Formats: sequence, structure tokens, C-alpha cells
Amino acid sequence: MITTPPKKSVWQNLREVMYGMATHDMSRYAVRTRASMEHLFILITMGDLIGVPILPPYYSLRLLPYVVPQISTWKRRLLREKDISDAMF
Amino acid sequence: MSLRQSILEHPDRRYIMFGGKGGLGKTTFSAATAYWLASQGHRVLVFSVDPQASLSDIFERDIFGKGAVEITHNLWAQEVDADRHIQAYQDEIRRKILDMYGFESVPEEIEQYIQAASAEPAMEESAIFDAVVDIVVTGEYDYYIYDLVPLGHALYYLSMAKIYDEWINKITKLREEMREYEEMVSRLKRQKDTEEDHILSELQYIRGRINASSRILTDKDKTAFYFVVVPEKMIILDTQKAAGLFSQFDVPISGYIVNRVVPEELLGQNIPPYLRHRIEMQKNYLGEIRRTFGDQVSAYVPELERDVTGLPMIERLAEIMYANGNSQAGRLR
Repeated sequence: MITTPPKKSVWQNLREVMYGMATHDMSRYAVRTRASMEHLFILITMGDLIGVPILPPYYSLRLLPYVVPQISTWKRRLLREKDISDAMF
Repeated sequence: MSLRQSILEHPDRRYIMFGGKGGLGKTTFSAATAYWLASQGHRVLVFSVDPQASLSDIFERDIFGKGAVEITHNLWAQEVDADRHIQAYQDEIRRKILDMYGFESVPEEIEQYIQAASAEPAMEESAIFDAVVDIVVTGEYDYYIYDLVPLGHALYYLSMAKIYDEWINKITKLREEMREYEEMVSRLKRQKDTEEDHILSELQYIRGRINASSRILTDKDKTAFYFVVVPEKMIILDTQKAAGLFSQFDVPISGYIVNRVVPEELLGQNIPPYLRHRIEMQKNYLGEIRRTFGDQVSAYVPELERDVTGLPMIERLAEIMYANGNSQAGRLR
């Protein structure tokens, strides 16, 4: 059975429009800053992956499982200074 | 203060360590101390993290990598197998990755990283460090006797605790900042909760463990650290240097134990000039030890006529080490 999302009320619509006008930019900026920090974080904990040993590896292994999905994008990002998202937004 | 007094008067010092250059008798003293405390009715664990540990040899039983093994009533001994500890740890990480993402096997790149990381020399030191925390945080025993690896390692070990601690503090702060941004976004988007940050909780866990272990090593009220010296010039000089370094790391030095003292009574007997000469030389160095370490000398232990291995010899040594007024014995000479 396919469920259709409930219709949005005028109030909800208005709220989303206000969000788009007022804070979308801010939250986008925050998300991007957060992403840069994530990359920095992976660099200092998993530097060994690209041959930059920054910390003793014992505890970085402990963090490894949590960054597995990010690792390939992180490597790509390191290779190019400019991210594709720079052009898009 | 004699060794006996210094231990009896500080019952809160549950972590007792013997440090000194290799081969001076740290393991022997650890075993004898553990034996003595056990005979006083305390539950005692004596453990070693040295890959060339000799607790197995002294107790004449193979205990390497077998966890805490009961030797006699109240006395347990344990030799940590660092390699096995690392392997188990690696497997735990792999399992976690498989479970978290439902992979069939660990991605090649990740697997390579796990293996490369474990090949680094720092890995073993850290694994040992972690194994020690495992042992001491459980608090099952009344006393933990720590047969410390030779001085260089011990210092590395201590400095590592400081470096780790600072490092972890920094990245925890970075992680917390990241968290703030995340929260800001969800406030702006009016989402209710942000997801729990598992990495942040891992970091806090790691910091907790590092702090716990460095506290144990440097806590004046809970830790007693004894240096083992022998009456030889080089050893005395090295020990002085090491003691200076240790105090920089806030390790509370409780005393010095002088080992391998050739009994002076032999001078009255018909002995070869070679031995006579050694005893005369030793007399000078004993004097130097008294001048340098003064009241901090806790015990003098004679060179016995045979190796200390097996429980009867350990018992005999314990009786000498913990005899009343042992520290006076040397001074009277």
C-alpha cells in the first residue's frame, strides 16, 4: 500500500517559506563547515591512510568503524582543493 | 624507612611497582613482594607486560598469555601477551565494521589500514598500555604488583600517557565543536534531536581510560614506586638520572632497594683476593648509595648462593626483604 504524505497546512507551508528565506543559507553554511571539520577530523585520526601518521594508531583503530563510509569521499576531497559543491552552490 | 614499614604504614598504596635497569631483579622483587603480601592475607596480583617476561620462569610455570593464574593461596600471576591482545583488538574492530554496515567482508582499503596500523611499533606500546588499564580498573585484588619493563620503556609509557591525554583533549574539543554546528543546523531546521555522536562517546571513553591509567601511575596515595639498584657505579648514575626523569612525570618514588649485596661477613673467611677486592669495591659504592639516596633506601638484599626460582626461594627472599629493620642492616656495616 502506498501512503501519500498528508497535505501540508497553510501554516506549515508558510513556515517552510520563511525557513527558506531566512535560515536556509545559514544552515547550509553550517552543514558545510561541519563537513570541512569532519574531513579535518578524519585527517588527524586516520592520517595513516594517506601516509601521514599523526597519532599512535591504537586508538585511531577504535574510531575507524565510524568513518568507513566517509573514507573514499575524504580521499577524493583531499585530492582536489575545490569541491564540486563549490561550483554547484 | 624499611620496606616492611613503608608498605604496612601505607595500606592505601595498592599499586606497587619496581623499576630499574634490566636484569637487576625487578621480577624477583615483584614476586617476593607479592608472595609476602599474600602470606599476610591479602589478595595479590603480580603482573608483567614485558614480552620477555620472566614471571613464568620465577614461578616455574608457564603462565604467558593465560590470564591471571593462581600460584598459591591469595597469589595470582599474569603475563600479558601483547600480540594476542592486538589480534583480539583487530578482530573486534573488524567485527564492528561488518556489523555496522552489514558487509560480507571488510573493504580492502580498510583492511589494509588495519594491518598497516598494527605493524607500527607504537602499536605494541599502546596495546600494552591498554591491557594494563584492563587489569587495574577491575579492582578485584587488594594489591597489584607491577613488574615494570626496563626504565626506558617505563618512561616512554609515562610520557605517552601525557601526550595521549593532550591529544585526545584536542580532538574531543574539535569533535564537540562539530557537534555544536550540527545542533545549530537542527535548530535552524527545527528538527527535534541530533543523532548521538558515537565518535564523541568513543573519544570520551578513550580519554577516561588514559586518565585512569596515568592517575594510577602518578597517584601518591595509591602508588608506591621502588627503584632497584645494585652497588655498581654505572647503575647508581643511571638510577639517579632516571629518578630525576620520573619525578618530572610526577611518579611518587617511595624508596630504593639495593640488590646483589655480597655479604661482608665473607671477609672474615679465607676467600680469594678476587672476591675480597669486589667486596672492598662494593663497600665504596654502598657508601655512595647511602650518601645519594640516604633515608630513601628501603632494603638491602644480599646476593644469594643460588638463583631465585620456585616458591621456596621466593619465600626465603621475601623473609629477607621484609625482615624487621632490614634498612638498618646496610647502614650498620
